[in-house]
Amino acid sequence: MKSKSAAMAIMGICTLYFLVPIWWLVVGATKSRSDFGNTAPLWFADVSLGQNLGELFRYRDGVFLRWMLNSVLYTGGAALLGTILAAMCGYALAKYRFPGREAIFNVVLGGVLVPATALALPLFLIFSQLNATNTFWSVFLPSLVNPFGVYLARIYATASVPEELLEAARLDGSGEVRTFFTVSTKLMFPALVTIFLFHFVAVWNNFLLPLIMLGNERLFPVTLGLYTWNSQVNQLPELRMLVLTGALVSIVPLVVAFLLLQRFWRSGLGSGAVK
Amino acid sequence: MKKLLGILLTSSLALTACSSGGDDDTTATAGAASCAPSSGPVTLSFTSWIPNIEEVVKVWNAKNPNIQVKVQTGPNGNGGTYQNFFNQLKAGNAPDLGQVEYDALPSFRVQDGLTNLAGCKPVTDAKDQFIDWTWNQVSFGEKDAVYGVPQDSGPMALFYRKDLFEKNNIPVPATWEEYAAAAVKVKAAGGSITNFSQSDINQFAGLAWQAGGHWFSNDGSKWTVNFQDEATTKVANYWQDLVSKKLVSTVPPWTTEWDSAYNKGQAWTWVSAVWGANSISSGAPDTAGKWAVAPMPQWTTGGKVAGNWGGSSTAVFKGSKHPYEASQFAIWLNTSEEALTLLNEKANLYPATKTGGSLAALSKGVDFYGGQKIYDIFAQAATEVTPDFTWGPTMTSTYATASDGFKAAVSGSGTLADALKKAQTSTIDNLKSQSIPVAE
Amino acid sequence: MTRRKPAAAILFFVLPFGLLFIAFYLAPIGYAIKQSLYKVTRTGTFGPAREVFGGLEQYQRVFENGPFWSSIGRVLLFGVVQVPVMLGLALLLALLLDSGLVRGRAFFRLAFFVPYAIPGVIAAIMWGFLYSPNLSPFTAVTKTWDLLSADLVLWAMANVVTWVYVGYNMLIIYSALLAIPQEVYEAATLDGAGPIRTAWSVKIPLVMPAIVLTTVFSIIGTLQLLAEPQVFRTFSSAVSSTYTPNLTVYSTSSIPNFNLAAAFSVVLALATCVLSFAFLKVTQRGADK
Repeated sequence: MKSKSAAMAIMGICTLYFLVPIWWLVVGATKSRSDFGNTAPLWFADVSLGQNLGELFRYRDGVFLRWMLNSVLYTGGAALLGTILAAMCGYALAKYRFPGREAIFNVVLGGVLVPATALALPLFLIFSQLNATNTFWSVFLPSLVNPFGVYLARIYATASVPEELLEAARLDGSGEVRTFFTVSTKLMFPALVTIFLFHFVAVWNNFLLPLIMLGNERLFPVTLGLYTWNSQVNQLPELRMLVLTGALVSIVPLVVAFLLLQRFWRSGLGSGAVK
Repeated sequence: MKKLLGILLTSSLALTACSSGGDDDTTATAGAASCAPSSGPVTLSFTSWIPNIEEVVKVWNAKNPNIQVKVQTGPNGNGGTYQNFFNQLKAGNAPDLGQVEYDALPSFRVQDGLTNLAGCKPVTDAKDQFIDWTWNQVSFGEKDAVYGVPQDSGPMALFYRKDLFEKNNIPVPATWEEYAAAAVKVKAAGGSITNFSQSDINQFAGLAWQAGGHWFSNDGSKWTVNFQDEATTKVANYWQDLVSKKLVSTVPPWTTEWDSAYNKGQAWTWVSAVWGANSISSGAPDTAGKWAVAPMPQWTTGGKVAGNWGGSSTAVFKGSKHPYEASQFAIWLNTSEEALTLLNEKANLYPATKTGGSLAALSKGVDFYGGQKIYDIFAQAATEVTPDFTWGPTMTSTYATASDGFKAAVSGSGTLADALKKAQTSTIDNLKSQSIPVAE
Repeated sequence: MTRRKPAAAILFFVLPFGLLFIAFYLAPIGYAIKQSLYKVTRTGTFGPAREVFGGLEQYQRVFENGPFWSSIGRVLLFGVVQVPVMLGLALLLALLLDSGLVRGRAFFRLAFFVPYAIPGVIAAIMWGFLYSPNLSPFTAVTKTWDLLSADLVLWAMANVVTWVYVGYNMLIIYSALLAIPQEVYEAATLDGAGPIRTAWSVKIPLVMPAIVLTTVFSIIGTLQLLAEPQVFRTFSSAVSSTYTPNLTVYSTSSIPNFNLAAAFSVVLALATCVLSFAFLKVTQRGADK
């Protein structure tokens, strides 16, 4: 009994630690600018959330909603396609023996080590050669590549797709590619959701690449948009509340995605790491 | 897939092309570029971070169907837009026009990124409309050289809490000596006379500018860097004294905390530029009606010298195919009454032209400042700015080192003078590492 | 039975990722390396820049650059403290979730994971407010200790990183725990081991690979710290433009000194590589004993 209450106490304290800052953000976003500096930070003053939201969504012809939509397209699209690509590559590295297999794996893994700051400028120059900077694709295409996803996919494929099953499929005359999409992906599904989730968050967080690639405000993802507003606070201090409200709104889709997907990642996440 | 293959091919090409590209650049720079009007309709691209700049450009586009300007916005210069300009210049796809602050113009000049507009008639014709010192900022004092059109300026003055000064019987300081004396009294009354801008070196630069400091000079064959001239040292020691005696607060600028120090009446004055009027009114809304503006304190009794803090130009980047039309637009944007009025209304820009100070919007009393016609003071200050202050070609790194040192000084390790000494050494190193000739 | 070589299938699986990887990883890396071997020359004060081959000159600058190496020292210190604290907490929480002592597991799992959804830039802005001496809800704390001062700001940042990543690491470890077959526990219970001993001598060794994995990624993350110090610069006087190695790269490239910035990033990537592999080697040797 004693250990049970001790355990619950630890969980309770940690919950406070993780959620109080978020609570603070929620409360802060409901306040008017002068209340924000002058009233208790952890409790509501006059609730002007509606007004803040209205201002946020109206500012510059509703550009914030556009940013949210862009973010969903960049991250959702890149994470979905990127997960499939990483899964295919990781699966091949796990299930087939071919010359250069380990070399490919090591080079890809090495990609995880390269600082993002080192990649950004050369990428810009490459896209410039094609006159393709400041386009949707200049952010979308590089975001597809997720070396960490290949690493995870390889581990998961080794762990969750039994050799015998593939043999059986071959005997049935099913082609390798068809087997992958009909049989293997089903077995790897929880793992794929995990890769998707991590990829999603990584792209959602990335703002260095869009910062360098994009000039057109209508193409910005929401992180870059908020960063831009935050840098204009000097000239227009009223933007500060918009940044705060925008930050709150911007995390809502992710929390929803977590909630919807949580029964998948629970089972998928660690299976490979044990092996 | 086709696109992807294209990228693959060019990425390998890029590896070779980008670095060898430098070799063809040996021509150019000397003398003004040819600047003839283009035939037929023209589209110009323009990047700026002025809030609501689109609305100003819309007015131009409506009137000039043959010269359409497409505007793009982004974070402020040092927040990423300058780096984007540098990248774009390297890749050869910079916009036709861009916003560049005065202190960043020399770096773009050094990177060979600017078109010399001295051959562009619209620009040379408009020269006399600009306040002389702003013209120096874009011509670097050279003959036959104009590297941008002055856009706005930041003449400095003293914002102070009229109510608190009156209540405590403190006279409004006209000299720096009086300002230091007032600081002691303000402290006794429970406030701070001001907040020393520890990380924004631009304010310090404005103060040194007023005192007659010259940080950079350039004789055509090499740069000279001097952060330790008499004037700058005087200013550094003056503020060091206030900091050491804890007569000024040292909250990082442009934070909510900083706003709140003003809003709650903890900081009583701010020596700032004209655009600071809006920073106070929106950052400290609870103090409406309690502020007033006086000329900047002077180093000599009865002196009439002001500093400048901020201001930018509209530059035409290298590679623009339509410098003539670009300069037409830049001149309209920065001299016409309609554009200046809009820029002031939408983004609080203060014009760099001689007549700009008499815009209708700038001749009215301002309620937040108790109805005072504060812009008259700034219009006066604009004519009193020392004309020959020059910025260096690596200001971002200079600011970074200096502000690192200033931050250390306000946290008690080292002094402002030490910080400036360090900034000088590192600036010289930096120039050398980019092969820019510099006197030791 | 002969197994036919599914070469076409392998190409189909590997090629799409491979091409993108070459275009968006290898090519830029190659370009950065190439650039780090060049230097700029010019004539006169405003002479145009020309890039010429400079050999290892930029690398010499890197090695002579005091602030860069002290920034590496700083993140190492950060990592030595923050990584064990964060992973220790993640491990503890994962073990508790797995122990059966806790009710409402679904809730806690989500509550601990939510901070991971917040982009680094935004998390740092939020914590900046929470640390501020006057606006913080915890003024009792922030007035006594100035969390943004030179002595404490590194740990204030460590807290932000911990706050964001504990949940993520906990999930990886927790899922590894879930994958342990039930029989293993039954054997331990038969031996009469209590929950703490089971955790210590059965569970932790079994999830060691997951812990190693999270450690390696934490080391990499630490060496590449960028967003947090960049945001903290705006409200703490103690964070300089060369506070972390990645910030040094960023500030150098915005001067712009592309060649030196490239050399910095190459050295940083190599350092990351060496450290991660050294860690892996050490843990492997430990496991072999």
